[in-house]
Amino acid sequence: MGEYMILVVLEHDGQRLRKGALEAISRARQLSALGAIAGVVIGENTQAVAQEAAQYLSTVYAAEVGPYTPEKWAEAAYAAAQKSGARVVVASGGRQSRTWTARLAYKMKAGLLEDTLETSTDGQHIIGVRYSFLNRVTEKQKAALPVVFTAKPNTTPLAEPAGSSGVVEALEVGRPPTVEVLERLSEQKKGVSLTEATVVVTGGRGLGSPEAFAGVEELASTLGAAVGATRAVVDAGWRPYSEQVGQTGKTVQPNLYIALAVSGAVQHQAGMNKSKYIVAVNKDAEAPIFKIADYGIVGDVHQVLPALIDAAKKLKD
Amino acid sequence: MKFVAVIRQVPDGESRLKIEGGKVDLGGVTMILDQMDEWAVEEVIRLQEKHGGESVVVALGPERFEEAIRTALAMGIDRAIHLVAEGYLDPITQAEALAKVIRAEAPTLVFTGGQQADWDSQALGPALAEALAWPVVSWTTQIELEGETHAKAKHDLDEGAEVVRVALPAVFTSQQGLNEPRYPTLPGIMKAKRKELKKVPVSASSKVEILEQTIQEKSRLNKMIDGKDPVAAAHELVRLLHEEAKVI
Ligand SMILES: Cc1cc2nc3c(=O)[nH]c(=O)nc-3n(C[C@H](O)[C@H](O)[C@H](O)COP(=O)(O)OP(=O)(O)OC[C@H]3O[C@@H](n4cnc5c(N)ncnc54)[C@H](O)[C@@H]3O)c2cc1C
Ligand SMILES: Nc1ncnc2c1ncn2[C@@H]1O[C@H](COP(=O)(O)O)[C@@H](O)[C@H]1O
Repeated sequence: MGEYMILVVLEHDGQRLRKGALEAISRARQLSALGAIAGVVIGENTQAVAQEAAQYLSTVYAAEVGPYTPEKWAEAAYAAAQKSGARVVVASGGRQSRTWTARLAYKMKAGLLEDTLETSTDGQHIIGVRYSFLNRVTEKQKAALPVVFTAKPNTTPLAEPAGSSGVVEALEVGRPPTVEVLERLSEQKKGVSLTEATVVVTGGRGLGSPEAFAGVEELASTLGAAVGATRAVVDAGWRPYSEQVGQTGKTVQPNLYIALAVSGAVQHQAGMNKSKYIVAVNKDAEAPIFKIADYGIVGDVHQVLPALIDAAKKLKD
Repeated sequence: MKFVAVIRQVPDGESRLKIEGGKVDLGGVTMILDQMDEWAVEEVIRLQEKHGGESVVVALGPERFEEAIRTALAMGIDRAIHLVAEGYLDPITQAEALAKVIRAEAPTLVFTGGQQADWDSQALGPALAEALAWPVVSWTTQIELEGETHAKAKHDLDEGAEVVRVALPAVFTSQQGLNEPRYPTLPGIMKAKRKELKKVPVSASSKVEILEQTIQEKSRLNKMIDGKDPVAAAHELVRLLHEEAKVI
């Protein structure tokens, strides 16, 4: 057994650590009363990325297993946990990590805390806070070590490099049976990233046509905002799935969320109800979105939206 | 071939939740078959319609789950196994208990929901796959069998999507776009009452304990602006966002 208590699985893009990795390191450091922290970089070009990670951690394993599959990631993280002796594994959030961390938790016979907002320890347990019931309930969970947990993105300050540089060690990993990737389909990215935007302007079915989204885009670009969409609009083919906010889409938490002709179904709210300020424009005064709105305009979006664009442009001039 | 759907019963999202003694109290709340599990049930039925064989639902949860199991049977599933356990069991512990039953069934594949509408967990499918030592495809939007040994599937990643080929048996979890679930018909509901529903008691202890649940709805300003004069309303809104909320 190794000398470490905590293992951080460091998310990266093949070149550099992602923000999520720096949040995960911060989460691990918050638990440093438990013991020392090691890291692992899994995937492709891991030696180079591990060198960057060694600015933060005293030991970083590099597991060169090729492109992502959940089986390979779980196997590599398991090998790193075994080698380091870690009894707590920390990873950043997201669909992919929530898939492989579940496999890993099963391998380790560990308690799994998913998508935690914050985490702490009493020496024997990890206590985590997270949302449940479609983001409506805040719950506190506790699990005895060993524990695997994921940190919800944008919940933790980014880690600063440590004073000295650590060592990188190549890690041998077995080859589990896994899926064969035939094709990767990337999402077309334009404008501001939805999950990182401080302002989001979302259009719903009440806009009536895909053409009406020109106004949504204009308001968004005036405000430096990202464009969001409801499932109804995505299902109709008006907007790409990458813009969908909600239970089966993205979760956002901007300073300002503007919902235009959106009814505010609970599945939509699951992706945006923690926004700091919510604005709703809807012709139906009874629309559920008004219940969670800070500012609401009851009116026809086809009249209000052009006026909003004008007013926003005047402000920005 | 044999197709299994793993399902759960959850509160209807539209119903009001309340907290009693620091925990969510589901008394009086309308309970439904989890809508993401409904996609799993529908897909299993479609696979059976296309390829023949048998369809089975497996559920692990309290007695009340029987209602959701009957819904799946009414949609067209052949028979059901209900692992009865009261109280909260974490997905890793659930996976272990489910895997025992599913291994004995030796299905072609297993489908379950991508995320649970009560615990907001995405872990059950992948943990079950690990317990069975099978591959997992999560957030599946399309699946096609290639004979009895392989499937080709499209599924969502953090960003974008991917097409994979996977050796069967495997576990799949559902995502929006997979299908439109059918409604149970009246004859379907009648037939469901006579379908086999085997109950198996489960005793296990959870690795995760829920200490406290609260509903921390952010208090909202709820300021309404009259939209009769859209230009005046828009200016007032922009002024408030700039001067009061200070977010633009
Ligand atoms: C398992 C599951 C997962 C789901 N996941 C998601 C998800 O991730 N994201 C999501 O968004 N949905 C999701 N849904 C769907 C969700 O339940 C709603 O159907 C959807 O959010 C509705 O979209 P909408 O508000 O655009 O449309 P609608 O509900 O049709 O609302 C349109 C609104 O526009 C208003 N309107 C109409 N005309 C005008 C006008 N001229 N001016 C002003 N207002 C007008 C109407 O009053 C109405 O309130 C999910 C559903 C299920 C079952
Ligand atoms: N869950 C989803 N719902 C809708 N579209 C999706 C989903 N997942 C991926 N897509 C994208 O939809 C586009 C069209 O996919 P297709 O189903 O092959 O026509 C592709 O670019 C996919 O990336």
